[in-house]
Amino acid sequence: MRPELTRLQLIEQHLLGPATPADASAWQLQTLLDPDLAADAAAQQQLYAGLQLAGRQQLRQELQLIHRQLYGPGSAGWLRGAAAGLRSLFKRRFRR
Amino acid sequence: MTAAAASDTAPLLPAARLRAALLADRAATLTQLYRRTFPAVERHVRRHGGTAADAQDVFQDALIVLYEKALAETLTLTATPGTFLVAVSRNLWRRELQRRGQHPTAELTEAHFDELPADESEAAPALAVLDYVQQLGEKCRSLLIGFYYHRQPLEQLAAAHQYGSVRSATVQKFKCLERLRSAVRAAWARTTDLLTA
Repeated sequence: MRPELTRLQLIEQHLLGPATPADASAWQLQTLLDPDLAADAAAQQQLYAGLQLAGRQQLRQELQLIHRQLYGPGSAGWLRGAAAGLRSLFKRRFRR
Repeated sequence: MTAAAASDTAPLLPAARLRAALLADRAATLTQLYRRTFPAVERHVRRHGGTAADAQDVFQDALIVLYEKALAETLTLTATPGTFLVAVSRNLWRRELQRRGQHPTAELTEAHFDELPADESEAAPALAVLDYVQQLGEKCRSLLIGFYYHRQPLEQLAAAHQYGSVRSATVQKFKCLERLRSAVRAAWARTTDLLTA
């Protein structure tokens, strides 16, 4: 990977990886050697927060689609549900 | 571990089973939860002064809570996911009724609940990033949201996006993250220029 990408990966491991004392002390040392690191980590944290919002927005759209498919006008979700119920009832009766 | 591999190792705790199912087939798992649980939540909300739209909002908020907790492995299920969903929905609706009592004209769509992991009203910088996520190309957006929000394993993402290997999916993920960061930085620089001009 390019050095820029490796740096993103390093910050990601610090922000999202398991927090160990070894990582904390290594990070502290790196911030002393690289004065921009802390600010870049804060900026990267905002990217993750934005991606969380985008993901949640996408999930809500998916849930609204599911709702329309199950209960929306024209989907006849209730009709399909009723038909499935009738089919399973017939199957049970037929088995007897 | 992939979702398929996880489902092969028995016995899994209910929360781990739910997580594996969500990773393996999100649409089918959410549809099943929706079909089984929404009618009970709708009945409850309607009996307690709400509309069908209120029930839908409350239930979807509860599903988002369940989804995020399950994927983050912070969910503890003592009963079925449906029981959890009904309990969270009832709690959210009770709070919403209390809020409306204090602000009778407020609509549910403006509501923010403590149960949601982050209060969006306090997330202004993240909201600014959100615009740039939407402006990314479809492939980058899908890869980044898939990895960071849906927590899909890189093996799964590599296969879905036709990357030859996990390594090339990893490199692509960081390239996309870099693209997002550059867009946000450029916007931030433009704003600073405007403020100092």
